[in-house]
Amino acid sequence: MTSESAAAAAAAAAMNSVGEACTDMKREYDQCFNRWFAEKFLKGDGSGDPCTDLFKRYQQCVQKAIKEKEIPIEGLEFMGHGKEKPESSS
Amino acid sequence: MMRVWSSEHVFSHPWDTVIKAAMRKYPNPMNPCVVGVDVLERSVDAQGRLHSLRLLSTEWGLPGLVRAVLGTGRTMTYVQERSVVDPAEKRMELCSTNLTLTNVVSVSERLVYTPHPENAGRTVLTQEAVITVRGIGLGSHLEGLMVSTIASNAKKEDLAHPDRPSSPWRAPSDAHLEWQLLFLSAVFAKTLHLQEDSQKGFFDKHRFRVTFRSYC
Repeated sequence: MTSESAAAAAAAAAMNSVGEACTDMKREYDQCFNRWFAEKFLKGDGSGDPCTDLFKRYQQCVQKAIKEKEIPIEGLEFMGHGKEKPESSS
Repeated sequence: MMRVWSSEHVFSHPWDTVIKAAMRKYPNPMNPCVVGVDVLERSVDAQGRLHSLRLLSTEWGLPGLVRAVLGTGRTMTYVQERSVVDPAEKRMELCSTNLTLTNVVSVSERLVYTPHPENAGRTVLTQEAVITVRGIGLGSHLEGLMVSTIASNAKKEDLAHPDRPSSPWRAPSDAHLEWQLLFLSAVFAKTLHLQEDSQKGFFDKHRFRVTFRSYC
């Protein structure tokens, strides 16, 4: 790995995941992805992603965290109200 | 009522360099409110383009006040970002929308990075945002404020120096963070004069369904 991509990979690795338990998995995956992205994908070699196993584990963890935190990926929710219509509108 | 804002910016760096920096822009000390970035989906399609879906988590700095005024203990807000990178065409498009506060405001933003048509050593970023605020009686004033703040911040941003790609730089799609802070500030200013028990009633009365216009 070049020093440029090593530094960049390290910078990306300092970010957290939405799920606290997933942060280590996320950082490991990010390092793998950033290396592949810069050195293979952008240079025209998009085949053979070496990060798929890391990604699967990380994804499973994140999806669980999203459900637990009730993050509205699919719907609209705020102030404890679900998808019901408002009573009044201007 | 909605406002639309668009801008164009030229980086003095080739497309590959800018894209690598764009993918790694967090952590960014210019925006410490972004506390989490997660990839939810990622795949390469049959044309060799990389598709990604990311979740950005932003933490408010004012949990007590948010809870009192908005009637919710939740202080995290979320943005969903979809992107497509085409390495053959040298085009990256990102589209982000807010997932929280959608009852009262919607922000949809699209960014497109392409090589400069006249100079391969430079990159063009075009950026568009649609901001819609409903209800609360703040609509047009707040939209105007948000748009002008986002526009002026985009101009100030140090976009042209990813010569050290690992150095942090402020990317235009951080508009989502700007509007969230602005929105809350305006809401507090509007409601702080009310009695505490009236504040919750104020928000219950002024919930509106959002008309969602999106580039995504």
